Amino acid sequence: MVEEQRSASSGGASDGRPPAVSVRGLWKVYGPNPLSIVGSPDATLSRSELRAKTGCTSAVSDVSFDVAPGEVFVVMGLSGSGKSTLIRCLTRLVEPTAGEVFLDGEDISKATPQRLRELRRQHFSMVFQHFGLLPHRKVIDNIAYPLEINGMKKAERHARANEVIELVGLHGYAHAFPEQLSGGMQQRVGLARALAVDPQVLFLDEPFSALDPLIRRDMQQEVIRLHRELGKTMVFITHDLSEAVKVGDRIAIMRDGAIVQIGTPEELVARPIDDYVANFVRDIAKSHVLTLKYLARPALSGEDIDGPELAANMIIRDAAEIILQTHKPVRVSENGKFLGIVSSEDILRLISGVA
Amino acid sequence: MTHLKKSHLLIGVGLVWITLSRIFQGDQTLELATSENTSFTSSVGDAAASIRGNRTKGAAFIYFFNPIRAAITGFVEIIRSIISVPSGNSIIPVIGWFGVVAIVAFTVYATSRLRTAILAVSLLLACGALGMWQFTMDTLAMTFASVLLSLLVGIPVGIWAGRSDRVLKILTPFLDLAQILPTLVYLAPLALFFLIGTASATIATMVYSIPIAIRITAHAIRNLNQSPIEAALSMGSTPKQTLTKVQLPMAKQMIILGINQTVMAALSFVVIAALIGAPGLGKPVVDALIIRNVGQGFVAGFAVVFVAILLDRSTSAAAKAQESFIPLTSQQIRRGRIKVGLSGLLAIASIFASRSVLSLAVWPGSINISQQVEDVTNHATKWITTNLYIFTVGFKDFISNWVLNPLETLLAFSPWFVTLSAIVLIAAVIGGIRVAMLATGLLTLIVLSGLWHEAMITLTQTIVATLLTMGIGITLGIWVGRSSRAEKVLRPFLDAGQTLPAFVYLIPMLGLFGPTRFTAIATGIVYSIPVVVKIVSEGIRSVPIAMIEAATVAGSTVRQIITKVQLPAAKKSILLATNQGMIFVLAVVVIGGFVGSGGLGYLVILGGSKPEMQGKGLVAGFAILLLGVTIDRIAQASARRT
Repeated sequence: MVEEQRSASSGGASDGRPPAVSVRGLWKVYGPNPLSIVGSPDATLSRSELRAKTGCTSAVSDVSFDVAPGEVFVVMGLSGSGKSTLIRCLTRLVEPTAGEVFLDGEDISKATPQRLRELRRQHFSMVFQHFGLLPHRKVIDNIAYPLEINGMKKAERHARANEVIELVGLHGYAHAFPEQLSGGMQQRVGLARALAVDPQVLFLDEPFSALDPLIRRDMQQEVIRLHRELGKTMVFITHDLSEAVKVGDRIAIMRDGAIVQIGTPEELVARPIDDYVANFVRDIAKSHVLTLKYLARPALSGEDIDGPELAANMIIRDAAEIILQTHKPVRVSENGKFLGIVSSEDILRLISGVA
Repeated sequence: MTHLKKSHLLIGVGLVWITLSRIFQGDQTLELATSENTSFTSSVGDAAASIRGNRTKGAAFIYFFNPIRAAITGFVEIIRSIISVPSGNSIIPVIGWFGVVAIVAFTVYATSRLRTAILAVSLLLACGALGMWQFTMDTLAMTFASVLLSLLVGIPVGIWAGRSDRVLKILTPFLDLAQILPTLVYLAPLALFFLIGTASATIATMVYSIPIAIRITAHAIRNLNQSPIEAALSMGSTPKQTLTKVQLPMAKQMIILGINQTVMAALSFVVIAALIGAPGLGKPVVDALIIRNVGQGFVAGFAVVFVAILLDRSTSAAAKAQESFIPLTSQQIRRGRIKVGLSGLLAIASIFASRSVLSLAVWPGSINISQQVEDVTNHATKWITTNLYIFTVGFKDFISNWVLNPLETLLAFSPWFVTLSAIVLIAAVIGGIRVAMLATGLLTLIVLSGLWHEAMITLTQTIVATLLTMGIGITLGIWVGRSSRAEKVLRPFLDAGQTLPAFVYLIPMLGLFGPTRFTAIATGIVYSIPVVVKIVSEGIRSVPIAMIEAATVAGSTVRQIITKVQLPAAKKSILLATNQGMIFVLAVVVIGGFVGSGGLGYLVILGGSKPEMQGKGLVAGFAILLLGVTIDRIAQASARRT
């Protein structure tokens, strides 16, 4: 409980470094006189009530969070929850109504158009759901586009584009045109283009939602791989919770423009803050997300407590085989401290959903 | 329920109207003899005369109109001297006919493909063989000059309107008005300020075609896939980089299609601009219409049709060549370059040849089949009018006696306030109170202009022609919309029909029906059917396939699918087609003033030829505009309210 509060408020940057992205009190209200809604009692109304009363729609309501350097932060919500507007406010493709967005400590909501262009060219980049590739340019020139508009010479930018082409697995496609590629390959181009400028932060707006399931799985692996290799900070938007769980260090769940809960996948599954979140996480296989810590309990009288010892942060799925093969309950400990035991029955109960 | 009420109301209005019309027939019709001026029309005439008298003295003329006229005339004359009229001290243009043919062949070949180039050359040679070489060159020169100037204005403004909502909002009323305004209306006011001649004709053509270029360019920019543009912005593109590196390359094909439309609009206007002294093919057409020589009209008309096909095919082929962004293989590109290079050299050689060999410079007089074409068509016309008399005159008389005359009696020979109130009530029922108020205002202005009766004559013809157009057009539209084979068969005719200048349709109709009101109506029908068929068939085709499948599975007959599914679902398209059809018909019906349709169109034409009628002609032009806007607003409102 304590831990959940900490991560929800301060953003889980456990090592004390300043956050890569920091969002404070962000609002986007559409309609007449949008500023009057910000922070007013009306803002607590439901969307339809707000529209009936003021003619305004609040797409993003008072959103705050921090993203640690190197973290993959997922914003997850159904369509209409405001997640796409949120990511566009972070990059100012949509102008926020109120609030602050800090990138590496710089408030981009106050940046001049000139400075904003600089930031876009050098500090962050974005991957789009519908790829946003230029149909009239070859793959290599699509990838080189952000370098080109920054004034880089042709030979130089092509050399850099070729590096990124190798990085994202587009070898041999440099001179193809976007419409000649499959959706998955097109999104690789989108990724390569975003990586070409070597940004500090990568914003991904439902990058794989337009792809079919098998390709989507490949691309998720690809993002995980790239993240491992390059260590970029990522803000990742999705409507698919299993995707969120797969790629995210932490997940923010959005509903009607506001963030309902922020936490690691384990925290969300183990302790959903309300029925809405609980409903969402219901279909997630708990054994894939939770660790032994969640199952650890005091031994009942008569139970063996001299079984093998396992670490508390072990994913249950990975521990299951060992526990099921052992005839005694296992001991769970964290940093040498004994937390409790887990028996085969506990595992089976969790997996079968009886618990 | 409300629907039923609406139709009851309309029938009620109609019955009261007919009754009142019977009782008061011939009273207060505001009829005015053709040669009679009201105090208003004569004061407009005086104002026009004083403007004309001011041409050498007034500051507006000395510093504005006259320099523009001089500059544009100079520009057009340069182009004409290259291909059409003797240049400088020479007795031949800079480039002789053989050189022109070579240039056209090369340009079309380089931008599209060999087949289109062969077609273009054949059409050009056919114009020469018809004895129309110089007229054709003049038309091409005028069209080229006006298109160039129109695009110079239209594309930048269109791009601007494509990027700025505010600019589009300011321009929209003008663009809408330009779509409604019949071509005939533009001529007289421009001739007043820029004199009769090439300058007026060019400027009038520009005024007519610039809105088309603006509209299509803005549309091209606005309807791009927004996702690459957003991506470009997210990467820090400046507005200029976004425009030049993203939006324009993506919009290229659509903009070239816009050029195609601009060219076709300019061509049709250049032909009609013969009325204010534009050189070119319009002149022999007008001459033939005036002396009612159908055969002679056909000779010039064929040349217009050939030029239209030539320009349409070559520009749309160029647009088609831009369809895909994926280039050919490098080997194909190299081979293409060699072909273009060689044919370019050949073209240059031909140009030089056309400058040094007289028979290649001046179209040889011995190659001329105009007399034969004239004789054959006159013969054919005569045969048709004598042997198929029963069809042509029979149909004409049937429509005249049973539709045209009763409606004319109702509209034009009722007291003006009865007709006006009836129209306003109809507008109120189908368009709502705001449209009714607008109609009241516009129609009152027509009454005040003194040309109410003539306007009602024109309106009668427009309504009759529209009814017939819709009858034929919807039937064909359903057919084309349902059968892809029908589409394949009719598509070339629909395309060609949309590109031909309205003027040339008058010629065959004159042959069939003689100089009567019905000729204008028949021309209007033939001219507007293609657009109606296109819109209706697109509407039918865009009905979701799932709806048809559901109806079929439920056991509907073909007839039930058409009447219960496709037509109701395509209702909006049909209303839109009616609106477009009416506007097209109005444009032609007023040109019908040439062949005896009377009404406002005749007054406009008369105003152009008789100085004492100039005021009345200008007022008549304005009344056409008012009538067009009234029709358009009522039709639009009825489409909107469904």
